[in-house]
Amino acid sequence: MLDAGRHPKINLLSYCEVEEVSGEVGAFQVKVRKKARYVNEDLCTGCGACVEKCPTTVKDTYNEGLGERTAIYKYFPQGIPSTHCIDAENCRQLGQGKKCGICAKVCQANAIDFEQQDQMLDLEVGAVVLATGYDVFDPSVIPEYAYDRIDNVVTAMEFERLLSASGPTHGHLDRPSELALRAEVAVLEKDLNKVSRQIDRLEEKHGKKTAEFLKEFEAGKAGEDEDFERWATLAEKQTAAEKVLAPLKKREAAAQTAKNLAFIQCVGSRDFRFNRFCSSYCCMHSVKEAMIAHEHDNQTTSSIFCMDLRAVGRGFEEYKLRGGKSSNIKYVRGRVAEITEDEAHNPIVWYESTTSRQVDHETFDLVILATACVPSAGTPKLADLMGVELDQNGFFKTDPFAPLDTTRPGIFVCGCAQGPMDIPESVAQASSAAARAAEVVATVPKAAAGGGE
Amino acid sequence: MNIEDAAQLTQTYYCLDCGVCTGSCPVSRVLPSFSPRLIVEKALLGLGDELLKDQELWSCLTCSRCYERCPSSINFPEFMRLLREEASKRGTQPVYSHHGMLQTIMELQTQGINQKKTEWAREAGQVAESGDTFFFVGCMPYFQVIFRDIGVDSLSVSKNVIKILNGAGIKPVVSDEEHCCGHDMLWNGQVEIFKKLAFHNLEVIRKSGAKRVVFNCPEGYYTFKKHYPEHFGELGFEVVHVYDLVAQMLADDVLKVENGAGPLTFHDPCRLGRMAKIYDGPREILNKLAKDQFKEMERNRENAVCCGTSGWANCGTGSKQIQMERLAEAKATGAQTLITACPKCQIHLNCALNNMDIDLQIKDLTSVLAEAIK
Repeated sequence: MLDAGRHPKINLLSYCEVEEVSGEVGAFQVKVRKKARYVNEDLCTGCGACVEKCPTTVKDTYNEGLGERTAIYKYFPQGIPSTHCIDAENCRQLGQGKKCGICAKVCQANAIDFEQQDQMLDLEVGAVVLATGYDVFDPSVIPEYAYDRIDNVVTAMEFERLLSASGPTHGHLDRPSELALRAEVAVLEKDLNKVSRQIDRLEEKHGKKTAEFLKEFEAGKAGEDEDFERWATLAEKQTAAEKVLAPLKKREAAAQTAKNLAFIQCVGSRDFRFNRFCSSYCCMHSVKEAMIAHEHDNQTTSSIFCMDLRAVGRGFEEYKLRGGKSSNIKYVRGRVAEITEDEAHNPIVWYESTTSRQVDHETFDLVILATACVPSAGTPKLADLMGVELDQNGFFKTDPFAPLDTTRPGIFVCGCAQGPMDIPESVAQASSAAARAAEVVATVPKAAAGGGE
Repeated sequence: MNIEDAAQLTQTYYCLDCGVCTGSCPVSRVLPSFSPRLIVEKALLGLGDELLKDQELWSCLTCSRCYERCPSSINFPEFMRLLREEASKRGTQPVYSHHGMLQTIMELQTQGINQKKTEWAREAGQVAESGDTFFFVGCMPYFQVIFRDIGVDSLSVSKNVIKILNGAGIKPVVSDEEHCCGHDMLWNGQVEIFKKLAFHNLEVIRKSGAKRVVFNCPEGYYTFKKHYPEHFGELGFEVVHVYDLVAQMLADDVLKVENGAGPLTFHDPCRLGRMAKIYDGPREILNKLAKDQFKEMERNRENAVCCGTSGWANCGTGSKQIQMERLAEAKATGAQTLITACPKCQIHLNCALNNMDIDLQIKDLTSVLAEAIK
């Protein structure tokens, strides 16, 4: 990624949207909307001082909503170009009409520009490569897996973020139920602290402890003071809040990280109800995740529930076996029938082990759904813009003998925009698509010099 | 239909052998020898004849929990129904509950007996000989006689439907000529008897000039909606569930109810829920009747569990266990009342409740609704 960013012949246009495509192979005219970032990317050094001071926090979509980010943000740390962007909708100044501008004050490069507007760019290009990736299947449409009801059932992508050192839990497997508990405790503590501070001031002003005051107040001997009614109410509030907090904090202190994991394969894939195709990478992804979890904490055990673990690729089968031997991974043949929850928020997995022909259930700390790879939400719109066809599964249509050519000459596709595939395959396709595009640009004399794909 | 044809029709050859059906099956959890996956496997391996003789053919509840989740969309309940059809053709002895008494009653109805099954209707409210709306009463008058000893007042449900319809200014047609809808015969594999019953019912309804037929029994509703057109084509009248009517009446303010029932929970009948896909209607009504006091069971809607037996086939210890677990699940919500929407669920769950020491009552949604009407 960094190589592409630094390449003298690659002009990187991020945070942009294609709005119109005309022309033909060798001479496409493309209208691109360069969206306002409200940050001048030529000036921004990516130092992150603005992020430290921004007062607005929202759910972080890069971390699958498990963590928070500020209104001025960088989508992810390694993002190229290394610059920031203001999420206008959530920004106090841009979206809510309040006076703020803290980011502008702290920015030493003067890169913040609240007046920035969307820009329209006209590009002349010889060829186009569609590399728009994929979306993760939303498992909440599967009632039996209760993804939307049980906190500790997560998608593979959510688990990936939990397991990441740069993720919301710094790589520790804190369970979502515990994260929610922690957030609840934090809110209650904040309120309690506010009350306690007010009480402290009253204690100081009147030179006595609250317990002492209350005793006098209840006995009617406290005397007359405008503060006393308020003091008594605050004391009452404090006791009530402490009572609510105590059991929650006890639970928080007793919380353990997830050690017993279940991976459920084919969630939304190989299923006539949703997607008939195999998403191909999820089997190896689950094995990898289970191995990393075990590396992080070698007490971790994992069960992978699958119909057949598709370890297709060089060294994949060996990797799978190694997981079983040295990373406490158990492979269970059987597709999971349903997930329920016990009182301690532990998911219970119900399944038939088809090897033992027994219906069984097992309680886990965390269940990870190996969710399908589906066409990204904007695919139909982009296909319409580009004038290319989609296949029966909603990915860009290609021919088996020309797997990178879309139905329109000069427009190519690579990676998961064409269909589910893993990283090495995507990388290979990307190089291949670039070569196909270069063929067009090199052989068509009209090809505009200086245009980039 | 032979087994190969049944397999073709229900596309069992798409089976991935994944075990979702058996893992979901309420019967497999209490009778481990019963496995939908292995039944499909046997059929695909050409061991169908063995299946037809097996008692397990009658253990399936046809509750559709497996079909709902099957990644290959194999309609296992329909496959079982087709196997039963074949078994009955070959004269295999079926496994019926209540010594087959209910099946006898159904079969008798095809022999031209005179029924006096709607006398109570005239006492319950206003009914007509002919008109736009036909109320298909179903088996409730028979259930009333058979199951009153376990404390189920089946007929009160039918009476309440008439009261509700009258309340909305509808004078429904009820008929002594009406026969059993044939649901049980169909699922018992007795398709010829089903056809006779169905043909007769269509004649009676068409003669009455009704433009729509109202049901409270989910089995009748689903059979008219799905199986009648399959066998007889276009019906020529609308098939309506009373809850849809009620939900509309509540929305239009024609019907006013008091919000005070509860705490309660709801058991989705398989014909109403997974088969007819009616989940929201009853819940809309329940939320009006018991706002904040209506609690869902852990396994609800698509995940709901069967009441333990269906089609008056095989009712054994496994059925009792399923029922007792379901009742315990209902009680765990903190509910005082378990609401059902199917007369058979009410009978089956009550039967189990009589042998349990839990403080819970079972009521039909129609009855709770009738009690709450202002």
